[in-house]
Amino acid sequence: MKKFSHKNISKIGKYKIKIPKRFDKKLANRLFRFMLRLRICELYLEKEYHPADQMKCPVHFCVGEEAIPAVLNELLIEEDFLFSHHRSHGYYLAKNAPMKKLFAELYGKSSGANSGIAGSMDLSYTKKNFFAGAILSGAASIAIGAALSLSLKPKSKAIAVTGFGDGATEEGLFWETINYAGLKKLPILFICENNNYSTYAPQSKRQAGMSIAERVRSFGVDSKQVFGNDVFIVYQELKKAITKARKSRTPFLLEAFTYRQSSHVGPPNDEKVKYKSKKEIKFWKKNCPVALSERVLLMKNFLKKTDINVIKSEIKKEIKSCFDYAKNSEYPSLNSWDDLNLSHNSPLADKLLLDLDKTDFDIEQQTEVSKGF
Amino acid sequence: MEKSKRISYSQAINDATSQAMKMSKDVIIMGQLIDYSSGVFGTTSGLINKFGEKRVKDFPAAESLMTQAGVGAALAGQRVLLVHIRIDFMIYSLDSIVNWLSMWRFKSNRESNVPVVIRAIVGRGWGQGPQHSKSLHAWFAHLPGIKVAIPATAFDAKGLLLESIFSEGPSIIIEHRSLFNLKDIVPNRPYRVRYGKAIVRRKGNDVTLVAIGCNVIDALKAAKILKKDGIDIEVVDPRTLTPLDRETINKSVKKTKRLVVVDPGWESFGAASEIITSVTTRQNLHLISNPLRITLPDSHTPMSLALEEKYYINAQKIVNKIKKLLKK
Ligand SMILES: Cc1ncc(C[n+]2csc(CCOP(=O)(O)OP(=O)(O)O)c2C)c(N)n1
Repeated sequence: MKKFSHKNISKIGKYKIKIPKRFDKKLANRLFRFMLRLRICELYLEKEYHPADQMKCPVHFCVGEEAIPAVLNELLIEEDFLFSHHRSHGYYLAKNAPMKKLFAELYGKSSGANSGIAGSMDLSYTKKNFFAGAILSGAASIAIGAALSLSLKPKSKAIAVTGFGDGATEEGLFWETINYAGLKKLPILFICENNNYSTYAPQSKRQAGMSIAERVRSFGVDSKQVFGNDVFIVYQELKKAITKARKSRTPFLLEAFTYRQSSHVGPPNDEKVKYKSKKEIKFWKKNCPVALSERVLLMKNFLKKTDINVIKSEIKKEIKSCFDYAKNSEYPSLNSWDDLNLSHNSPLADKLLLDLDKTDFDIEQQTEVSKGF
Repeated sequence: MEKSKRISYSQAINDATSQAMKMSKDVIIMGQLIDYSSGVFGTTSGLINKFGEKRVKDFPAAESLMTQAGVGAALAGQRVLLVHIRIDFMIYSLDSIVNWLSMWRFKSNRESNVPVVIRAIVGRGWGQGPQHSKSLHAWFAHLPGIKVAIPATAFDAKGLLLESIFSEGPSIIIEHRSLFNLKDIVPNRPYRVRYGKAIVRRKGNDVTLVAIGCNVIDALKAAKILKKDGIDIEVVDPRTLTPLDRETINKSVKKTKRLVVVDPGWESFGAASEIITSVTTRQNLHLISNPLRITLPDSHTPMSLALEEKYYINAQKIVNKIKKLLKK
């Protein structure tokens, strides 16, 4: 299949996944493990989210979209910046931010990644250069600045990476972003997880013209479309793109076709809106990143059923401890609203600037009205 | 005595920017046409020759992106100065300012700070008309998480810009273009004017006249005229709206028992209202007369000179209003 679209993908029926030749076995197993961990994490969070209703913040779960974060987890280095949209959990874990702090954040606890102040959509983990935010296309546009700054550091190999959905590309700001990336040839990697839907509306109802991947090319941003549930293909493409971005400091966009099994937001019950067909749900479940890779890893004997069971029980143990951590943590307290919003410290100004002041001003001079040209 | 020179407001901004960029390699500046000789009314002229295109970045007409890029660059270690030749163009970046920049520290529980400074220029007179004369300082002062400065003199313009560039958090500096040619004695060395520190520009006992931005000059002129009639005005220039130095204003009003605020913004829900409310509701100051705000009408700015004169505040209008207030 040359050109991807959600329409022609669902005609595949059963996707034939292959492990590429000479693909490292340990790497393949690590990718699988990451995806499985993210999958189980999200399923357990969904289960605890409602009807318990103790995580009192909007959450966009990412069941079905595990491949991209797994690959980023392999390929990103500590110094890279990662900016995510509202569906943030996979990206957060991709940057090796601690799972228990994600859980605590959702419960609004002081031990959360953002001390319980930001919530799921605006999650961040400063120490790992990970930042998310809810306003569509915001993450991609902020990533431009990080890329710009990195491009000023001749020795740096670090890049800026941003993950978002097809919906974000409808914003004007997105195209300002693409134009600038193409114009300045910045070390930035755009990852569009095209899951076809912006809340309930399919892409064909919202977007004119060519595919997202094609449109960015007209701005000088190289791009590629892939079947985003094949973690091995995603790995190969992103490895190429990231190696190139590190070396030749150029932008790239990957349009990865995937599917969100979760509801758009909240508990898994938005099927009642009937915006997805039964047929497509069935197709994408069967061909989800975890199922596909599990099938081929077993077939190739990279892993045995018993290995997978061991991994699963390890992950479940970790998740249980994350829930315990979150639930047993304290709620945040407050010292000052003012300090929380504004810093009144200027350590650098203290070092560099003199304290001077004066009251007088010459009021006899004429205020000259400047002309408008 | 500090070595100093008499330079204009726009030269003082240029001076501060140039010094900041010399002092720290992390400082970069972005804005439309900042690298041409005209340099945003002279405020950025010559920077390109001194610091090169890597740090002096002409930016496409993409104001939303520019502010977002500022946030990202700040995260990766830069100190970012963004210049908008007209505040009206900056409005395209409201999303960035409101939804991202101002929230950044808050969301991270103070862990992540973004040193981004936005210079926004407000036009006035000579037919700037409805499009290029909006002084939106009150909007940004309403928003948590971002400092707002509105310097009236070249001395303050330099000191506040340097302070902003080298401070931790984001700030917006509202610059009235009608002040750009006004000269002042400005120290050569880099110095700071702190946020949240108002200045008493003229001492007096009868009325506290708080004046903002371009109206500071009008207020000082009015005070001089009123002196001839034996009315003794104390002129307070807050210099920054966020944080606002309520203590200095309070102290002055305690002494004079009269409060007048002259504000180059629209009347309703504006800076003048906030200053009057916050001063008078904190304690009973036993005012002799009702507080008074002198502002622009709740109207956009007309282009025609004839109507412009009706619209804008000047020294004589302030004199008349204060005389009327004292007669009551
Ligand atoms: C500027 C803006 N407009 C609208 C929204 C509301 N909104 C939140 S998520 C979403 C759907 C986005 O779809 P997409 O970008 O494809 O990501 P997905 O949710 O599919 O992962 C919308 C419209 C928003 N967050 N920001």
